[in-house]
Amino acid sequence: MDYNIKDLKKLQNKASKIRIRALEDAVRARKGHLGGSFSCVELLVSLYYGKFLRINPEYPKDPNRDYFIMGKGHACLSLYPILLDFGFISKKRYLEYGKNGSSLGGQLDISIPGVEYNTGSLGHALGICAGIAKAAKIDKRDSRSVALIGDAECDEGSIWEAVMFSAEHELNNLICIVDRNRLSVTKKIESEVLFGDFEKKMNLFQWNCNVINGHNYNEIFQALDNALISNRPTMILANTIKGKGVSFMENDVRWHHTIPSLKEVNIARKELGVLNNKI
Amino acid sequence: MNLDQIDIRDAFFDQLYLKGSIDNNVIVLSADMDAFSLRRFAKDFPEQYINVGVSEQNMINIASGLALSGKMVFCYSIASFATLRCFEQIKVNICSMNLPVTIIGAGAGFSFGYDGPTHHGHQDLSSMRLLPEMSIIELSSNDLAQKFVNFAFENNGPLYVRLDKGPFPEWKEYNIDFSKGYRILKTLEQINLISNGFMARTTLEVAKRLTSNGINCGVIDLFRVKPLPDKLYEEIICKSKKIITIEESCKTGGLGTCLSEIIAQSENNCQLQVIGTPDRQFIEYGDRGWFHKKYGLDEIGIFNTIINNI
Repeated sequence: MDYNIKDLKKLQNKASKIRIRALEDAVRARKGHLGGSFSCVELLVSLYYGKFLRINPEYPKDPNRDYFIMGKGHACLSLYPILLDFGFISKKRYLEYGKNGSSLGGQLDISIPGVEYNTGSLGHALGICAGIAKAAKIDKRDSRSVALIGDAECDEGSIWEAVMFSAEHELNNLICIVDRNRLSVTKKIESEVLFGDFEKKMNLFQWNCNVINGHNYNEIFQALDNALISNRPTMILANTIKGKGVSFMENDVRWHHTIPSLKEVNIARKELGVLNNKI
Repeated sequence: MNLDQIDIRDAFFDQLYLKGSIDNNVIVLSADMDAFSLRRFAKDFPEQYINVGVSEQNMINIASGLALSGKMVFCYSIASFATLRCFEQIKVNICSMNLPVTIIGAGAGFSFGYDGPTHHGHQDLSSMRLLPEMSIIELSSNDLAQKFVNFAFENNGPLYVRLDKGPFPEWKEYNIDFSKGYRILKTLEQINLISNGFMARTTLEVAKRLTSNGINCGVIDLFRVKPLPDKLYEEIICKSKKIITIEESCKTGGLGTCLSEIIAQSENNCQLQVIGTPDRQFIEYGDRGWFHKKYGLDEIGIFNTIINNI
């Protein structure tokens, strides 16, 4: 498989397939968080198919690998198809999603090859990634550590403890991507208290910071490339749309974890480019 | 200097220093906590010592990342903050992923008595007991502290240890088999006192006083509180008519509760008396001895409580 496909068309195609799979899996299981899964698809596609993460499905625990921790593990519906595509998990395991006693659940856990952390409790991922980045520095390993967290997750104080720690320890091998989809479970996150002048604030915290469109591959790759030459940890504030790709789901708080009706599924399928009822 | 004279923290950290000197995967994190011999570790192994500042949640998150990368991590803070302040991080990161992280809680019970209820350590043990994967150790002597460090490496998983301060002379006469989880400090009788940590010494004195008043009793230092030793039931409870637990912890969920859970399931008619701190927070200020006297945890207080219930 050629992971190094920065060709936009191919990446867009991957993103569409991931959204379709996530939709079908959620509908089949009657479980899942579609809104937040859809908002981070391009970010995941860039990390995995853009060959940013140096990982090996044949040897998932390679000590020299890059580490990726998805703090917003409830968006796992977008990661499972990638883990399947890369060969981290089998088709059999993939199809277990949503069943009672399944080995693939509504959160990520370390029994899944390629997953580094048991997710579900918000605010931990960045600190854990900082610990991993620090270990790489101590061991003089060229290993990157990437956390993908939600914007609502930034309410957690432990995020900011980790922000200060990482700057103090000059962890330039650490990247934090914030999926800024502007919605939490119950409310809009429009306050400027945190996200206003975010780049400036992060610079004052001695982080490298890029504010980008999280659905635009050029901007994502540019920000990731910037991280590689930074002498500071890098924060990427990725402006996204919750429910991206399905018109009625976009920017609607209802789609944090609602499962669409049959009628809605049919509209979503059409918009995501499924011509018949099969993927 | 022999082990009788040094502070138990130094006995502990000196042993950790030896481990750190031969294994650079040993990392110590401190949440702005100091100890004399820890300074030597920090000075000689700067790459292996990180003071994360006043951020216990971050300390556990960083420890998790380090442990996920193959490090053997020791986190040091005040007992109350090292457990309750970052309970979620300990539960989710360290315990659910079974990481080799040892949390060292300083200030058991009333040892930071004058600093108010925030600094008292009465719920650290009971809160850690709630975590299925956690092992819990209380240290009653300097030699036990040294052996504990080796145990932490063998254990290679989540571990909580209460580390006291001041000299805790070596108990050469009581051979420690660490894997057993307890040691008998005074030969078993029909009435047996079970304690650990700081209170083990007071308990020995209480036992002597009881004996001189015609009440024979044995004393057990139950230093491994979780998992409780396999042989505890067969070798202690089955041979006792009455067990008295003595702890410097809240009685809710502590050592006495541990014993009550086993005794409740046993078929013999072993009685249980639990002596510990009341189920409350103490918004009052005094040194450890003052608190112990006030709440009946000094030698006389414990003696009287036992005598009144015989």
